[in-house]
Amino acid sequence: MSGGPLIVQSDKTLLLEIDHPDAQACRMAIAPFAELERSPEHVHTYRLTPLGLWNARAAGHDAEGVVDALIKYSRYPVPHALLVDVAETMDRYGRLQLANDPAYGLVLRGLDRMVLIEVAKSKKLAGMLGNRIDDDTIQVHPSERGRLKQALLKLGWPAEDLAGYVDGEAHPIELAETGKDGGKPWTLRSYQREAVEAFWAGGSGVVVLPCGAGKTLVGAAAMAEAKATTLILVTNTVAGRQWKRELIARTSLTEDEIGEYSGERKEIRPVTIATYQVLTARRGGAFTHLDLFSARDWGLVVYDEVHLLPAPIFRFTADLQARRRLGLTATLVREDGREGDVFSLIGPKRYDAPWKDIEQQGWIAPALCTEVRVTLTDAERMSYATAEAEERYRMAATARTKLPVVRALVERHPQEQVLVIGGFLDQLHQLGEYLDAPIVQGSTTNKERERLFDAFRSGELRTLVISKVGNFSIDLPEAAVAIQVSGTFGSRQEEAQRLGRVLRPKADGRQAHFYTVVSRDTIDTEYAAHRQRFLAEQGYAYTIVDADDVLGPSLPSFD
Amino acid sequence: MTTSLADHLRALPDESLAALLQLRPDLVVPVPADVSALAVRAESRVSAARALDGLDQFTLQILDAARLTRHPEDGTTSTEAVLAMATAGPHPPAPATVRRAVDKLRALFLLYGPEHALRVAGSVDEVSPYPAGLGRPAAELDPRAAALCADAAKLRRTLLAAPPSARAVLDRLAAGPPVGSVPPGALQAPAVGTEDDLPPDTTNGGPPTGSPVRWLVDARLLVRVSTGTVELPREVGLLLRRDSGPLGPLRTSPPPVAAAPREPKLADSAGAGQTMELVRHTEALLESLAAEPAPVLRSGGVGVRDLRRLARTTGLDEANTALVLEVAYAAGLAGEADLPGATTGRYGSDQQVLPTGGYEVWRAMSLAHRWEQLARAWLTMSRQVGLVGQRDDRDRPISVLSAEAERAGAPAARLAVLGVLADLEPATAPTPDEVLALLDWRAPRRSRGREAAHREVLTEAAQLGVTGLGALTSYARLLLADVTEADERGGNDPLGLRSEAESGDPSSAVRALDALLPAPVDHFLVQADLSVVVPGPPDPTLAAELDVVAEHESAGGASVHRVTTASIRRALDAGYTAEDLHALFRRRSRTPVPQGLTYLVDDVARQHGGLRVGSAGGYVRSDDEALLAEVLADKRMEPLAFRRLAPTVLVTPYQVQRMLIALRDAGYAPVPEDASGSAVLARPKTRRAPTRTPVGTRVDPLSTPKLAMPRLLGVVEQVRRGDAAARAARRAPAVVRGGAARVAAGPMPAHSHSDALAVLQQALRDKALVWVGYVDAHGATASRLVRPVSIGAGYLRAEDERTEMLHTFALHRITAAVRED
Repeated sequence: MSGGPLIVQSDKTLLLEIDHPDAQACRMAIAPFAELERSPEHVHTYRLTPLGLWNARAAGHDAEGVVDALIKYSRYPVPHALLVDVAETMDRYGRLQLANDPAYGLVLRGLDRMVLIEVAKSKKLAGMLGNRIDDDTIQVHPSERGRLKQALLKLGWPAEDLAGYVDGEAHPIELAETGKDGGKPWTLRSYQREAVEAFWAGGSGVVVLPCGAGKTLVGAAAMAEAKATTLILVTNTVAGRQWKRELIARTSLTEDEIGEYSGERKEIRPVTIATYQVLTARRGGAFTHLDLFSARDWGLVVYDEVHLLPAPIFRFTADLQARRRLGLTATLVREDGREGDVFSLIGPKRYDAPWKDIEQQGWIAPALCTEVRVTLTDAERMSYATAEAEERYRMAATARTKLPVVRALVERHPQEQVLVIGGFLDQLHQLGEYLDAPIVQGSTTNKERERLFDAFRSGELRTLVISKVGNFSIDLPEAAVAIQVSGTFGSRQEEAQRLGRVLRPKADGRQAHFYTVVSRDTIDTEYAAHRQRFLAEQGYAYTIVDADDVLGPSLPSFD
Repeated sequence: MTTSLADHLRALPDESLAALLQLRPDLVVPVPADVSALAVRAESRVSAARALDGLDQFTLQILDAARLTRHPEDGTTSTEAVLAMATAGPHPPAPATVRRAVDKLRALFLLYGPEHALRVAGSVDEVSPYPAGLGRPAAELDPRAAALCADAAKLRRTLLAAPPSARAVLDRLAAGPPVGSVPPGALQAPAVGTEDDLPPDTTNGGPPTGSPVRWLVDARLLVRVSTGTVELPREVGLLLRRDSGPLGPLRTSPPPVAAAPREPKLADSAGAGQTMELVRHTEALLESLAAEPAPVLRSGGVGVRDLRRLARTTGLDEANTALVLEVAYAAGLAGEADLPGATTGRYGSDQQVLPTGGYEVWRAMSLAHRWEQLARAWLTMSRQVGLVGQRDDRDRPISVLSAEAERAGAPAARLAVLGVLADLEPATAPTPDEVLALLDWRAPRRSRGREAAHREVLTEAAQLGVTGLGALTSYARLLLADVTEADERGGNDPLGLRSEAESGDPSSAVRALDALLPAPVDHFLVQADLSVVVPGPPDPTLAAELDVVAEHESAGGASVHRVTTASIRRALDAGYTAEDLHALFRRRSRTPVPQGLTYLVDDVARQHGGLRVGSAGGYVRSDDEALLAEVLADKRMEPLAFRRLAPTVLVTPYQVQRMLIALRDAGYAPVPEDASGSAVLARPKTRRAPTRTPVGTRVDPLSTPKLAMPRLLGVVEQVRRGDAAARAARRAPAVVRGGAARVAAGPMPAHSHSDALAVLQQALRDKALVWVGYVDAHGATASRLVRPVSIGAGYLRAEDERTEMLHTFALHRITAAVRED
């Protein structure tokens, strides 16, 4: 029995004990084929999935190597049945190939005739396949490439895609690592470099990096690699402008080369930044702006915050299989469970790094997460107890008792810039008055937003109350404290994204604080526990304190 | 001079005879009366077949050689002749090998006699009719074919003239068996002009019609032996075999295994991993059976629906679930029990399959021990699990644990397959086909037709961790040796003394497996996401603790649990306090306990018991707390055992009525209330006499009743009958009435008894009435006027006209009988 760091479970999860001396080597060995599922402080969980094994096959790993890695690092005997299963699963990959035939265009080729016959008969592929050219080859409609790949995946016979990618319209893009317009020289961080390399080698796929770890730069580096016209899809206009700023600062691109395609402006330039919102806007039941995808011969499509990809874009993304696609996200968890669709349409996960690793390397600020439990007053409890089921969460989340706690928390960090984040507008208005702080919400104009954010960045404004619009893509580097008062029920990614607001590394390496204020003994607590799941699995340990400890006069100091 | 087998045996020394009996133990069941009987039995069809079954392919071929070289007249052959034939082929085996095979056959007395005059034991020819796959000599088949065979040159010419399709038929028959079946009509010449319309020939595969066989029969190369079968004469077969030798290709040693041996550690490790899986699956399956026992079908076994359910809960596919269930059943871990409240004990009705008491014992054993018990059960169980899910002869699905999957040969098949693996180099992993080839060489007669069963054994062995990566594991090798040894030891140690002395120690297989399996751990790692990881198999106390305080998430080498609000609540319900839980996590955790977990425990403990539930017979409530305090303090109320639930509520285990009376007696003024809280008022009942019927509806007692004629006649008949009865009673003769007194005084004179019998017989003939005096069962005397119906078997049957009943009197009790005049 070897004393390896890895324990192979019969449900195909792999437990990696990270305090073990071989843990790092083991992680490198299993990362190509196993998906990181959870990375809490002591034992990381990886999972062997067919998708992961097939991706490993696509990247050139064979079953023998996978089995060897498992046996080499496993602490305990690995069940024979599991090894057999791994080998059999990997063997299914590549029996079918998607290839470009000089005469017939895109074709599905079967190296195993039986498999080709089996899938050709399947009802799920009806309409995707064209004429049978010979015994081993079937014509495929080019527009169905994405859907066909997805359907084959579901049938368990993933096709090896040899058809390649179009280069798109060339456009020179370089990273400006020497500094531009008097800026300081900089270099791509090691993990960013690895992420870009992994993406480029795979051709298409998703890169998962924590909030604040510089995903924009991964996008910029990918563009510099592609050197082609690029379409960037972002969640909102402010985020789009941040992208633009960053691209101008970090690449050879100039302001004129970058177009904005949003509700306000409709520019199409070599690099175009569009919002999901405008793409999914409908007029008379038709998506009027989806033409953007074919407006130019894009060489690269970047999907920012890919976990938010709206369903209509899914449909369109399926048609873009010949173009390189890069998805960027911090939290690939969707409460609608469509993570799998993201993978099969944008591409598999090409790079993933545990948050705590990046934190240890100093690229994101260390954060202390604290859950503050507020005891409702008797009157509030009574009205909560008798409320309708659908009203309960709102009542618990917006309890007035939270207000003094929030103020005490703000006062606890007099030197820091504080974001107060909530989901209910009434509550935010109350907070705004109570704390005497401005509010950014959906109805705030883009101009006003920019003004407030600028004031916050410059330190003029110390406290800002923001609604759900602040969940994503807002770059406020110096914010060091976030206080969450309410949210969208049990959304795990919202929690992570909100924490992400304070994770930008601080100039002096200060610690960031994330508070979530929760009403005790209500559904608020239950949702909070669910929301924290993702972060807890990334190794963020929440400390739970009572509101009285925050409010009380003799509170023990935290830092 | 020919000598019989019996003469031979008789001439043997005792040791040689004993050696024969040891080789062919079936000869002594039952012990034969004398040597002739022994010889007859040894030459019987059954015994010869048994002896042949155990022989390998080469020895069988040598026996065939002996049979083929027999002199046609006296039926003897010699070692030299056998040797000559065996070495006639292109790759002759070493003569020593052939001699060894001959010696083996002689030891079995399948061949007997001196080397120069060997004889083949009788009935070998019956058991395997075609030696070396060759047909009978042409002379025995057909004179015309014999004529052809006698002319070697002509035979050769005819053969060369055979069309390719006919040659293919010949080659197949020459490889043996030499008999082929042909479709009806294939041997008839087609009608003129329809040669092209013949149906395709399915037997010989392909486009040529029945004509190649017909051509061969016409050319006398094949002989038709019956309608639909043809046979290849021996001479033609030998000619066709001139390239491979008369016996066909000879294989002196078992076929080689292509794969190089694996790293023994790897095979052991994969197998050990599988043993952990097996034990875990067995436990999961039995736990699932304990939670919801599977009903036994009327036809026996457990139904498909239950099997699917078990498969779902254990996470195995159906075939493997069936295997685990069968093995657990064979190991005595599961059994049937009557449904609670079942009325019949018949098997298959109202019974359930659930874990036995043995399961508890098994669960307490170490992993290796648990596996050993399962593996031993598997080795020896006479079940062929692969049949489950297939259809039986009557096209009904065979269900798991049903009698249809019973196969007596299953243990032998397992030992045969594992024996093949055990004889290879350690950690050699042959493919299933290679294993089958090896089996076919070792005992062709036994393995033929059982290929499916043998393949099943291989997959089952992999599933049970007996093999790992296709090779027999080291611990399974030890177990196998142990099992086969125990078989042999059983013979030499009839009293079982030695095995008893050995029991208690773990077997060597268990020790070997133990070394491969992870040692149990007594600690876990707690993480901030409230997951608890046990980095190895938990020791039993830890497992029991975790079962209570956490939810199970993932199992295997290690186990992952998650602490949730519900699990903490369950622990509190089970009697843990918050302090206990903190102590448990502190003691067991190798890592610091996250603050979130501590907080969760405290938080749940704080809420735990926030609502209390109980039962009470009645309650007293009052808005006046002082009044309740007074009631509670009142000594007279003590028998009611009041308990104060709240300042304004008292409860008592007694019923409301009793409480009311007691309270009222003590001078309180309680008012009862119903479930909705409204007061129940009780007014005293007004007293009333019983209800009476008013005058008008009553019948006048003095008025005479009206009588109808039929009713009157009935009355008259009744009266007459009564009259007759009275008269009869009065007129019972003194002899009859006084019978009892006489009996009491002394034994009844024999003559009076026989008189009574004569009277009764006469009355029976005349159908007359008789007075019968008798002593009844209580010793009292009685008399009755009856009409005898029959006398026989010591009883008189007679009818009493008054009561219209049939009476039976024991004759010996009858004291007197007098004819009614």
